[in-house]
Amino acid sequence: MHKSLLAMALSLATASALAAGEHGGSHSATPEAEVDRTIQIEAGDMWFDREELSITAGETVRFEVANTGNLQHEFVIGDAEAQEEHREMMQAMGNSHGDGHDGHGGHDMAEGAHGSQMPSITLAPGETTELIWTAPADVDTLVYACNIPGHYESGMFGEINLGG
Amino acid sequence: MARSSVTTHPLSRRQLLKGGAALGIGSAAALGLRPAWANPWGQTNVYSKGVEEGPEVSLAIRRESILIDGKEARPISINGTSPGPMIRLKEGQNAVLKVTNLLDEPTSIHWHGLILPPEMDGVPGVSFPGIAPGETFTYRFPVHQNGTYWYHSHSGLQEQLGHAGPLIIDAAEREPFRYDRENVLLLTDWTYEDPMSVFRNLKTAEGYYNFQERTIADYFADVREKGFAATAEMRGMWAKMRMSSRDIADVTGSTYTYLLNGQSPEENWTALFKAGERVRLRVINGSAMSYFDVRIPGLKMTVVAADGQPVQPVPVDEFRIGVAETYDVLVTPEDDTAYTIFAEAMDRSGYARATLAPREGMAAEIPERRQIADRGMEAMGAHGMGGMDHSGMGGSDMQGMDHSNMQGMDHSDMNGSDMEGMDHANMRGMSGEQNRMNANGMLAAGAAQPGSRYNQAGIGIDSDARRVLVYRDLKAFTPWPDRREPQRELELHLTGNMERYMWSFDGKKFSEVTGPIHFEKDERLRLILINDTMMEHPVHLHGMWMELENGQGELIPRKHTLNVKPGERVSALITADAEGSWAFHCHLLYHMDAGMFRVVKVS
Repeated sequence: MHKSLLAMALSLATASALAAGEHGGSHSATPEAEVDRTIQIEAGDMWFDREELSITAGETVRFEVANTGNLQHEFVIGDAEAQEEHREMMQAMGNSHGDGHDGHGGHDMAEGAHGSQMPSITLAPGETTELIWTAPADVDTLVYACNIPGHYESGMFGEINLGG
Repeated sequence: MARSSVTTHPLSRRQLLKGGAALGIGSAAALGLRPAWANPWGQTNVYSKGVEEGPEVSLAIRRESILIDGKEARPISINGTSPGPMIRLKEGQNAVLKVTNLLDEPTSIHWHGLILPPEMDGVPGVSFPGIAPGETFTYRFPVHQNGTYWYHSHSGLQEQLGHAGPLIIDAAEREPFRYDRENVLLLTDWTYEDPMSVFRNLKTAEGYYNFQERTIADYFADVREKGFAATAEMRGMWAKMRMSSRDIADVTGSTYTYLLNGQSPEENWTALFKAGERVRLRVINGSAMSYFDVRIPGLKMTVVAADGQPVQPVPVDEFRIGVAETYDVLVTPEDDTAYTIFAEAMDRSGYARATLAPREGMAAEIPERRQIADRGMEAMGAHGMGGMDHSGMGGSDMQGMDHSNMQGMDHSDMNGSDMEGMDHANMRGMSGEQNRMNANGMLAAGAAQPGSRYNQAGIGIDSDARRVLVYRDLKAFTPWPDRREPQRELELHLTGNMERYMWSFDGKKFSEVTGPIHFEKDERLRLILINDTMMEHPVHLHGMWMELENGQGELIPRKHTLNVKPGERVSALITADAEGSWAFHCHLLYHMDAGMFRVVKVS
């Protein structure tokens, strides 16, 4: 319990540091000029307004994600397997019995077991944040999801079709 | 399961899902030939006992011969089925529900969980005179809410005869979750005995249906494990309380056949799905006396509503459903295989079962039933130790406890300072809240009472084995409209004598009280329920929501029925905005009939 609390505190600290440093900017090193197009996505309770996206391999996209719901949400891009691992980890962290289970720890820790960092942003209610991302060339489909416990399960995810 | 879902390609799953949605209402009919009805959002709903679509519905109540579990039975039917058909209304409608009594005794229907005018609430002697034989009563009320509810008779013991059914209200606006298909799962407990004779048996012979009492062999085992003194002391305590530590339920599987949508475990009602679909299960406990522990081995369930009200989603492996409660859960079966929906009676004396399958005629393994649990120390909270959290004390482990302090301890006026020296290890979440008193010196709105055990599912549940829903998990999306602090507190003790089968509030049966409980119109009050008995009681207030103060502050959930565990102290905030007389009672049918019933008058 203490361990996970510490982990949560650390991750939250990291998250806020990131947020402070990057607000208004992007979560990637890609320069503005290289953005091919902007995709606006609305995140509500418990849905994204778009359930499917088609993006060409190599295309650089600026996601403008607006949280119009009452709860915190995240927007994470990755393959189905990494997303599920991330989800399981977040559930395990929020589940330590005796603490009332209200924590959903591990914000911005969208890390798969392979050590691959998934591009992700976390959004407070009412917040709009950008994520700039370049579509990889070696996969057909990816998933974007909110992995806060129960959110994906309620339908808060969509697919990115990279088939070209 | 977790492994196989990883290999399922999300794209193919999504395509499948779309195929399912495109088939719409036709698919359900083609799949199962069951009455199905499409809601405004396009999902189909399946329930095996027929659908009556609002706003205008006619219901005929009869007593007739119907086979239950393949055996001759004489239940009460509603439009020819028992339990009755699903009534489907839509938020914003004006419901017109015509109920015709074709029995040879008076009857009634109460719309459980609905906020409506007092004269439409359906409780004979409180809301209206009841419906005489041969008469038709027309209920008319505006539908101001949505979600999963149910209806049942409020006359005598008729509910035990299957006089109940699901009441589903479609939302005017989209709900905070998405799904492709829904099923109603109505749990009931059927007995071939006359309910009056069940009641007589309970009154004349304590433990009549309880074949799980401790035996002399258990006694020697206890002596071996605990030593003679501790065993004698423990037994003495149970004897003093006129109970056996194995009284988990007072009516058990020895007379009950547990039914799911009117079908026995052998009949195996089947809910159909296509792999990858998100399925909403609307689970209703419409039984007379039985709590159930519900799980679907191989599937995570995400709880999205409690008592018809949306809650922030909670992924769980199992949930306990008290009598009269409802829970909505989402499941996503990824594989083209069958899953068992397993609803084990809390006392482990039996189970209801159904199957979630891609095709008819499939079945999955039925899980092994768990061992009967002993009422442990937690139950004794009622007898001198109320206000303590015993979560750390499993089963009958009594070692290391100092019983000398248990005698004659009066916990009714217990406050923060009296709790020094107690084990606060499991009271996390309270420590901060203890200081948050409001201007009247009461605990702040939404804070958990000392003595609540919202982080425990209850007896016989091993929360280490799987993730089990607890009351503490329930969290609303947004604060309910009335954010006033409580102006006063009303404390009621749940009391009883098992041996004489007397159940009451504050030691007085309904027949012994002189008048109703008074709520001042529009006051904001805190109802505190203290369970002095050693059984769970599902306490139901008609006409007004109870906001369960489970420590979630502004986001406390609202419920129509609160499960109060043995020895537990539970509180709820109430806005007394519904003028009139309302029933307030324990929803265990025989407890209510025995006197655990009051009238609340708002004026």
